[in-house]
Amino acid sequence: MKILKSIYNLFFVIFFSLFINIALANVNQLNDYYKTIRCLVCEGQSIQESDTEFAINLKEQIQKKYDSGMDLKTINQELINIYGEEISFNPSNNHFILWFLPLLILVIIFFLVRNKYRKN
Amino acid sequence: MIPLLGNLIFYLTLFFIIIFYLGWGKKILLQDQILLYLIYLGGIVPFLLLVMGFAISDFSILNVIQNSYIDDPLFYKITSVWGSHEGSILLWIFLINFFGIVFLRSNNNLQIHKQIIFISSLFILYLLLSSNPFVYVENSSEIDGLGLNPILQHVLFVIHPPTLFLGYIGLIIPFVLASHILATKDFSKKFFKQMLFWSKISWFFLTFGIVLGSYWAYSELGWGGWWFWDPVENISLIPWLLNTALIHSLQVSIKNDQLKLWSLNLALYSFISAVFGTFLVRSNLIVSVHSFATDPLRGLFLVVIIGYLFLVTIRLNIKSIIHFNQDTFSLVSKESFLLLNNIFFIAAALTVFIGTVYPLFSELFFQSSVSVGAPYYNFAFNMLMAPIILLMAFAPQISWSKHENRNNKIWITIIAAGCVSMLTFFYFSNFYFAIAIFIAAPIIIQSIVVIFKKFNKDLRFYSQWLAHLSIAIFIIAAVFTEQFDQEENFIFEKEGKSELLMNNGNSLILKNIKDTLFSNYQEILVEVSIINHQQEYILTPSKNIYQPSGQITNEVSTINQWLNQYYATISTIESDRVAINLVYKPLINLLWISSILLVFSIFLSIIKRR
Amino acid sequence: MKKSLILPFVGLAILAICTYFFINKSEKENKKNIALPSLLFETEDFYDKKTLNQKDLGKFYIVNFFASWCKPCLAEHPLLMELQSKGIKIIGINFRDDEENFVQWINEHGNPFFHIIRDDGSIAYEMGLIGVPETFFIEDSEIQKKVQGPLFYEDIEKYL
Repeated sequence: MKILKSIYNLFFVIFFSLFINIALANVNQLNDYYKTIRCLVCEGQSIQESDTEFAINLKEQIQKKYDSGMDLKTINQELINIYGEEISFNPSNNHFILWFLPLLILVIIFFLVRNKYRKN
Repeated sequence: MIPLLGNLIFYLTLFFIIIFYLGWGKKILLQDQILLYLIYLGGIVPFLLLVMGFAISDFSILNVIQNSYIDDPLFYKITSVWGSHEGSILLWIFLINFFGIVFLRSNNNLQIHKQIIFISSLFILYLLLSSNPFVYVENSSEIDGLGLNPILQHVLFVIHPPTLFLGYIGLIIPFVLASHILATKDFSKKFFKQMLFWSKISWFFLTFGIVLGSYWAYSELGWGGWWFWDPVENISLIPWLLNTALIHSLQVSIKNDQLKLWSLNLALYSFISAVFGTFLVRSNLIVSVHSFATDPLRGLFLVVIIGYLFLVTIRLNIKSIIHFNQDTFSLVSKESFLLLNNIFFIAAALTVFIGTVYPLFSELFFQSSVSVGAPYYNFAFNMLMAPIILLMAFAPQISWSKHENRNNKIWITIIAAGCVSMLTFFYFSNFYFAIAIFIAAPIIIQSIVVIFKKFNKDLRFYSQWLAHLSIAIFIIAAVFTEQFDQEENFIFEKEGKSELLMNNGNSLILKNIKDTLFSNYQEILVEVSIINHQQEYILTPSKNIYQPSGQITNEVSTINQWLNQYYATISTIESDRVAINLVYKPLINLLWISSILLVFSIFLSIIKRR
Repeated sequence: MKKSLILPFVGLAILAICTYFFINKSEKENKKNIALPSLLFETEDFYDKKTLNQKDLGKFYIVNFFASWCKPCLAEHPLLMELQSKGIKIIGINFRDDEENFVQWINEHGNPFFHIIRDDGSIAYEMGLIGVPETFFIEDSEIQKKVQGPLFYEDIEKYL
């Protein structure tokens, strides 16, 4: 029982530390940032992988803005204003239902199962 | 001739199916067994006919005209069969019937086969009504065919879709078995053993198919990565996750008579998820690289099929709830750990599923279009997988029913893993890699300890051991590649230098640009070489322009250095300049090796039965 | 048991409703019309080296993105020529093109444009271009409509 409890505790510590870390992690490199921008003409690829005219131009423009001192957050907001939210592979915080779902699903299943098995 | 024959056989098969269902077999002097064989053969032969049609370039079939080119090599002519939507549905039917006929040899329970045949007949109807590959056209001698999509002309493509389909459809046997068990309430061990065997077969093909697809995207499409969270990839991952959970849960069901309803429901849902995934892709509801031509009728039919499967499942679920509480085991036991494993895998599958359909849902209800991609999955999926992988190190050593002998070994392992991960953090100063090490190291440590302590001859033990170990290696390799890859773009101007310096001090030299004409494509090949300590490595990325369609593909060129790889593609080529994209991918080969080991591990446990 | 079943789903429903309102709100904020970039009026014409004057353009005009390497652009070219002859002013933006090819293309197929700008992609980015050809209809200095892909007569009929 003790072992199990400590293992569970460990889980949740790791879980939340990961959660916080990934949520706070900023994309620092431009190359990583390109991976979060969808190439609108190539169905499912990001502009980092694509070599269509659209992707190449977008990369150049972003590079230009970045070099002129604009930070990635502003660039991202500008991109969303121009192209709409589907340009970003990274759903905004407004879709928090999506971000919380994995945790929620886990908790729901967990409680359902626990209640079922506790009777025995 | 072939179109007529193909249609005829299908209608005949449907006729036999009706006879079979009405129970009139005896009236026309046919035993049920023989009738079953006839029906299954009726689903198998048309596919072979179409293969023949493609092989001899029979241009009286519309599908052959649309998807094959007379000058294509024979090999690619045949593989064009499943390059189109119609052909792949035909392959789907072929495989259902193929599995049916194989399964008939080990189990001739009519009730079970009735279900397989019913599902198969739904697909046959679907094929005949909305996407018939056997459409006859007036033959004229001038036709050369429109050609197969050039990106599909690759050896890996030849085996990738059929392998994946084998995996998907292999799940049909656990599905029908589970629904049979739930319907008759006959929980005998024999059925569970058969389920385990078939789900292992399916797992083998699924894993192999996913790895092949991934390797194809990496080496052929030139995307520069191995996993993209593309809808089609996601959709193949969902059945894989559920099937993985199923295999684990079935171990408990067979060994200890517990978690039976978990296993049965997992079996039901893994097949449904496979069909549903295919439906999502085929109906173009979700945009993906693999998109096929849209036709609303097709979507509608697949909805009917999935609706039927769902109804069956939900009815069975409701029935099964009464039996839910029959499991008894202590809180610390192998059972409880495998239950936890089930929970996490189901949650992961649901997360991937929700992420995949969320854009659709958001468009419909929130009137807001959104893209869900790698950043989301990397966060959500890894989060759910991390705990389960940590568990993997210890769960196999815990005993069944009740774990008695407690020891501190768990803590020693965890502390050791913590130390190693701290060291890696200081050495590489990369947080994610350190986390990966922390999660994967216990498995490796435990695997080594176990193999020394408990030398046994049980093949099943080795298959489990190898599977878990290769997962650990896979995680390390994957995170390492993702975190430490280096991408550089080199532009060679016509009048400029032909030697450029790389970040790591080596130099890249442009040697030659070749332009060659092949039977069905034109190849523009750029030869560059990397000079590293007097040693020269030659890379030859190229762009191919395929004939009838004018489509351009990027050919990747790679150089292996032990486990690391240089990966080069041409990003642009113009009259006065060439741009080469060069990526250094450390440990990428370890990733492929560990995936192959994973596939091999399940193979070990399958052959053990024979 | 029932309580534990209901609670998570209530939570889910609340989350969904909140998300709905949040998205609705942010959508309204985000849905600003894309403004015409100032670069459009600052860049000189390729031939006569003059900048654009708003007054010359009038109430309604068209901005058309094209390139010599783009095959569908040829398909809409006759229509553009026809529109020019009807007195509609078209601003042509040559998107990421080779100068030689561009000049040759114009000489070969004719020049329907009131004003031609050679763009390295900046204007295209500001206007949210997805691919060439793409055409923007502008009335009272606001983008009224945008057509992706080759322009057809039906697209513009309403504005004539």
